[in-house]
Amino acid sequence: MEEELINIKNTAMSFILESENLESLEEVKQQFLGKNGKLTLALKDISKLPKEKRPEIGKLANEVKLTIEETIKEKVAQLGKLEYKKEEIIDITLPGIKPSLGHLHLITQAIEEISAIFEKIGFTRVRYPEVEWDWYAFTALNFPQNHPARDDWETFFVKQKPNLKKGSVLLTPHTSSGQIREMERKKTPPIKMLNIAKCYRRQSDVSHTPMFHQFEGLVVDKNISITHLKGTLDYFVRSYFGQNRKSRIRPYHFQFTEPSFEVDVSCGVCEGKGCKLCKAGWLEMGGAGMVHPNVLRFGGIDPKKYIGFAFGWGVERVVMMKEGLEIDDLRLLYSNNLDFLEQF
Amino acid sequence: MNIKILDSWLRERVKTKATPQKIAEVLSLTSVSVEKIERFETDYIYDIEVTTNRPDLMSVVGLAREAATVLPKFKIPATFIPLKVSQVKQKPGIILPIHIKNDPSLVNRICAAVMEVNLKDSPKIIKNRLEASGIRSLNNLVDVTNFVMRETGHPVHVFDYDRLITHTLIIRESKKGEKVTTLDGKTHILQGGDIVADNGKGEIVDLLGVIGTANSAVTNKTKRILLFIDNNDSHRIRKTSMFLAIRTEAAVLNEKDIDTELAMTALLKGIELYKKIADAKLASNIVDIYPNKIKTNIISISLEKIDKVIGIKVPATTSIQILNSLGFETKIENYSLTTKVPSWRTKDVTIEEDIIEEIARVFGYQLLPSITPPLTGVENYSLEHNEFYWEKRIKNALKYWGFIEVYTYSMVSEQLLEGPIGKAVELSNPLTEDMTYMRTTLVPSLLQVLKDNKNREEIKIFEIANVYKKKENSLPKEELIIAGVIQKEHVSFLEVKGTIEQLLTDLGIKSLNFKKRENGGAGAEIYIGDNNLGNIEILDQYIINFELNFQTILKFATLKKIYKPIPKFPPIIEDVRLLIDPKILYEEIISVIKKQSGLVVNVSLLDVFENKKTFRVTYQHPQKTLTNEEISKERVKIYSALKKELKVKIA
Repeated sequence: MEEELINIKNTAMSFILESENLESLEEVKQQFLGKNGKLTLALKDISKLPKEKRPEIGKLANEVKLTIEETIKEKVAQLGKLEYKKEEIIDITLPGIKPSLGHLHLITQAIEEISAIFEKIGFTRVRYPEVEWDWYAFTALNFPQNHPARDDWETFFVKQKPNLKKGSVLLTPHTSSGQIREMERKKTPPIKMLNIAKCYRRQSDVSHTPMFHQFEGLVVDKNISITHLKGTLDYFVRSYFGQNRKSRIRPYHFQFTEPSFEVDVSCGVCEGKGCKLCKAGWLEMGGAGMVHPNVLRFGGIDPKKYIGFAFGWGVERVVMMKEGLEIDDLRLLYSNNLDFLEQF
Repeated sequence: MNIKILDSWLRERVKTKATPQKIAEVLSLTSVSVEKIERFETDYIYDIEVTTNRPDLMSVVGLAREAATVLPKFKIPATFIPLKVSQVKQKPGIILPIHIKNDPSLVNRICAAVMEVNLKDSPKIIKNRLEASGIRSLNNLVDVTNFVMRETGHPVHVFDYDRLITHTLIIRESKKGEKVTTLDGKTHILQGGDIVADNGKGEIVDLLGVIGTANSAVTNKTKRILLFIDNNDSHRIRKTSMFLAIRTEAAVLNEKDIDTELAMTALLKGIELYKKIADAKLASNIVDIYPNKIKTNIISISLEKIDKVIGIKVPATTSIQILNSLGFETKIENYSLTTKVPSWRTKDVTIEEDIIEEIARVFGYQLLPSITPPLTGVENYSLEHNEFYWEKRIKNALKYWGFIEVYTYSMVSEQLLEGPIGKAVELSNPLTEDMTYMRTTLVPSLLQVLKDNKNREEIKIFEIANVYKKKENSLPKEELIIAGVIQKEHVSFLEVKGTIEQLLTDLGIKSLNFKKRENGGAGAEIYIGDNNLGNIEILDQYIINFELNFQTILKFATLKKIYKPIPKFPPIIEDVRLLIDPKILYEEIISVIKKQSGLVVNVSLLDVFENKKTFRVTYQHPQKTLTNEEISKERVKIYSALKKELKVKIA
């Protein structure tokens, strides 16, 4: 019985392998696996065997069957391919059948890239409230009570009774409100925060949208100096804009940093020579500075022991600067014109 | 704030061979940003942006001092030529009466003098300098005030002495509702609290620090003037300027705390100029009412701290030289530097860090090395608990399934709000009416996007953004929501449901329950266990939307991997077609089938046609190959249960 099965297998295999077309292969299949096929008949004989021999032979018979079936399948595939090659003419210039593909918003794409760049050098990304207390947005950032940023034509305020300690409720006009929140979260430095969030300011024109995005970096540690701020800026500018781009810092004035800087990036169009798009080869990117000791104090950190730097820039701005997109009205970003969004 | 000045005027106060381009470049790097240089005849005009903390640089003198300090750092010699004003030594020929009564809570200092003058055109050099500065030249009497303001940085005012009929100026707060007509002929109603000069008869003759009034301004008949330098409380000036929407240069400067010491310089410079171009003769003694003297700031700082913040060693001699050149009297004792802040920087320079800034910026930021901060105390990072990781995964999945991501505004109109106004966060100063409330759902905004893209039939969009829920006496609750809309002909509920199921499967969440909507609407509520995850809403035959709560997803999303041994024995697969009441839910059928037999490992729906449903049942045993007899026993059980429990016919 055993011998017979192996014989069936070998014969079948040789017939299968010699088949040159699907018809002859089908014939072989019927010969062995059909109703009266050799293997089918042999399987029926198993029941005639003594009981103790049945499992062993049964197993073998099953294996033989599987092998024959598998080989036929492979041969079918092989023959199929050959015939396809022979007969079909493919117009390879026809459009492909594509899986569906949507689009991520420009801002999402930028945020992902910015996050990746800063996470590489140890920054932790966080998210803090968009609707915020005056305390976090202004007072604890060293803004005097009558600072213009607090005017109600600059910042959006919420109709709500002010809190005795934390002041009024507003839509945060900058990601800097995350500085104090992060100091409270970490309690003791080192801090290396990256806060990317929606911000709101009361303006809407070709270069401003009432809702926009900023990314804010905050580093607080024992031995931090202006050189580290420069290092971080250079690293970001080279990573995001390209190896040949440079950054520089110039004196500026902000309430929550001292010294304060304006950060410029060398123009990518004229490569620093000066052109219509830039100011003598440089483009303004945004503000930065060494964290004001009052801000550390308000965040519960001893300015005698720790020192920090911070920067906060517009996501929209760096996207425009990077891609050289000449979008003449920034409001297009949030107009949700799908013809626009599909371009990216 | 911006200032424009002529190169030749600047060079009167700083002696240097630097080209205008070089001066612009160096100032920009170390001091103030020179935004433009323009040709003006044979001269150049600098257009400079001055930060609000540096009103002292809104002047030729201030900029010259900066230039003379910073140019040598770029190896270009430069010397500052301070403004010298001659003291008035001669006694006036005649003494005309003038009575000024100050209120020290309103005005810090008043310097004034009466003069007899001849009104005429200014000489060309003065006209040029003013016009290059963006100031219109009127006549010599007015031009002097503007010229002195530009040169010294202190605003200057001039009255027609003879129009001040009472010869009296009483400084007081305005009362609410008082009217004034300013020298441009416009009438304003005051809010109260403005600084005004009263002529003693209740008549206002000046809005101090902001703009003169028509009733006391010089005219083309003016013969005698009162030159008047007022140094005012900055907050009041700002309020007045804002309320009346008057942005004169005087107001812009006066709201930023101008150096009180400068007031006398401005007066003397004014007298000198009037003598030169208006044949002025002094007709009063010099008035100097100076109740609020500046408190001098003395700041000490260790050399170690300077080096620590800047990041490299700055020689002590360099620091001293820089500070002295900027007007800070500085000395060194015991590795510590003590400096006296000049009067024109009192408001701006108050702490050690301010001194460090002065040293560092002049020393040159460009000379500092660039070092990435050290990696100390790195925070633990758990991918599984990182919300940004999951957010990105969700966004990418939707993108690859053909959705376009949109960003819509968080503020919406009452119409788009949905739900009671009282429960919404409302802005007290919205920009427009359609951005008044913080949204409580994203769907209406997405439906608006459909409306804005009427040119398309098929749209698949999504957004991930916060919604805001009002809370008493605290900040609103911000919840991150994932919302999507599909618009197409014959949009199917199952397509949306499948998208959500697959999305969550990718995040490791399998046990979703879809229940009827609580509000009875068409669609489904989605649960993970007892946690409401969100819902699907069928709007009509074209539009279906969904909203999912990101926090709930975050609670269950997992990267955990579970290994189940791969079955060694082949399954047996059977298809069965049922004739069944369409109202009987798919889940009920499945559960009846599964309950009957432990050998059923999977039941799936192959096809639905009218009242016929075809299911595929997979039987499998972990330890052996199933025989036909074994299966048929199970099959009988299943069929009879289906017939009995669900009144099914097997087709």
